[in-house]
Amino acid sequence: MVQDKKYAFYLGCIMPNRYPAIEKSTRYVMEKLGYELLDMERAACCPAPGVLRSFDKEDWMVAAARNICIAEKMDVDLITVCNGCFGTLQEVNLRLHEDEALREKVNEKLKLLGDYEFKATIEVKHVAALLSIDIGPTEIQEHLVRKLNATTAIHYGCHFLKPSHVRQIDSPEDPTILEDFVEALGIKSLNFKQKYTCCGAGGGIKAAYADTSMTILSEKMKHISEVNPDFILDVCPFCHLQFESGQDWLKKNHNINYDIPVFHLSQITAYCMGMDEKYMGLQYQNNGKKYELTPIEVQAND
Amino acid sequence: MTSNTKSESINDFLKEKKKYVDISEFDSHFFDDIERRSKILTCIQCGTCSASCESGRWTALKTRIIIRKLILGDLSVLKDPDIWLCTTCYNCYERCPRDVRPTDVIIELRNYASKLGNIHPVHRKVVDYLKATGHAVPINDKIKQMRKELDMEEIPPTLYKFKDEENSDLTRYAKELFNLVPPKGEKEENKDTNKDKEKKA
Ligand code: SF4
Ligand code: SF4
Repeated sequence: MVQDKKYAFYLGCIMPNRYPAIEKSTRYVMEKLGYELLDMERAACCPAPGVLRSFDKEDWMVAAARNICIAEKMDVDLITVCNGCFGTLQEVNLRLHEDEALREKVNEKLKLLGDYEFKATIEVKHVAALLSIDIGPTEIQEHLVRKLNATTAIHYGCHFLKPSHVRQIDSPEDPTILEDFVEALGIKSLNFKQKYTCCGAGGGIKAAYADTSMTILSEKMKHISEVNPDFILDVCPFCHLQFESGQDWLKKNHNINYDIPVFHLSQITAYCMGMDEKYMGLQYQNNGKKYELTPIEVQAND
Repeated sequence: MTSNTKSESINDFLKEKKKYVDISEFDSHFFDDIERRSKILTCIQCGTCSASCESGRWTALKTRIIIRKLILGDLSVLKDPDIWLCTTCYNCYERCPRDVRPTDVIIELRNYASKLGNIHPVHRKVVDYLKATGHAVPINDKIKQMRKELDMEEIPPTLYKFKDEENSDLTRYAKELFNLVPPKGEKEENKDTNKDKEKKA
């Protein structure tokens, strides 16, 4: 049995190295909910399920197992904030739990990387699943300092829910967990056309075929802008980066200035739980800088 | 994992990666391998994958045709730049009525294409970053400053922070993992075709 109320905090690449405010917010949320987050020293890239898995899926699996081993040594479950990291770590963890022969092969290679052995003792969790399911819309209300009077366009991303038989979180065609959760924060989730499509960043496309990637995002942004949300809400730093850089790209190449702020679920939840606005990091982002949060203070109910 | 090849007992995580210099070196095992993992022969060519494709709406990627070519043993798919246009959105994987799992097939094909050295130069750079820092997206000075302003540790406690340790994990990581097959002459050609496709898209 792993230790209760503690998680190994898996950082990945884009959150700590591009959007540290998401990391700050996640730490705030987890601490306020009574969890302790432990550092995973020497953890590396997950590795990315689209780009790096494409070159060598054996090495991809070994590198992912190595990260999971770090959490296993601490005897705690692992938590991530990113769909890509979750995609890799959850899938590899599951496969190595189920397949002993595969585990042995991976362990042999792991020896070459240091003192690592995959023992199949922990679980991999996405912070969005922890918040929206484990805590849930009812319990979170007990922890709110304020709600937000706002509308949002929710973006689930792909690897949070798919492949659904591996993830087993919610329906990939018609999910509702995030809508229910943000409603508890006072936020109205808006419906828009083709809500569940991909942001266009994955699979190594963003790096190698930027224009294609941006074309996919442009269509998405068009549909989002039609319903005029106060902000876009994502659960993945890579989608987050795509929404930010995509709006910049549209400004530069097509003279379209949507200027819609982009928040990760952690940032919004942290704010509603009392974190100072400056730690949400909107000042470091390129879009929606002028957006003013519209909080409604919550009466303490005890 | 079941296996139908002779190499059953060999640990393919450890063995020296077979490098394919030319497409003619692929034998029939290549298709057995893919069929063993993804059951491509059950495809009924319904086109649900292409109809659901996030990328195919805008690009030349035709998932159904890639599966078709594979079944027919057409090795040109390994040189086809289109296989690199999939965003791994998993729509086809979810909706395929025969559970072919086309996303996995595409990843499989990319793995074989990589063994031929068919890797985009930008993707090679991602691997360079990974080997140098442990991150596909490394930290920079601007972010360090941002982290300070947010009252956070300037450098997160990942592999990069411990890079200067003796016999560091990063050195071993870089030595053992993702050793790509070097590029070949024909790579340039691929790049150009893809650029044209992007323009059209
Ligand atoms: S959806 Fe499945 S069965 Fe239909 S064409 Fe695609 S791979 Fe074949
Ligand atoms: S996973 Fe790839 S091939 Fe399948 S629908 Fe998505 S982009 Fe198309």
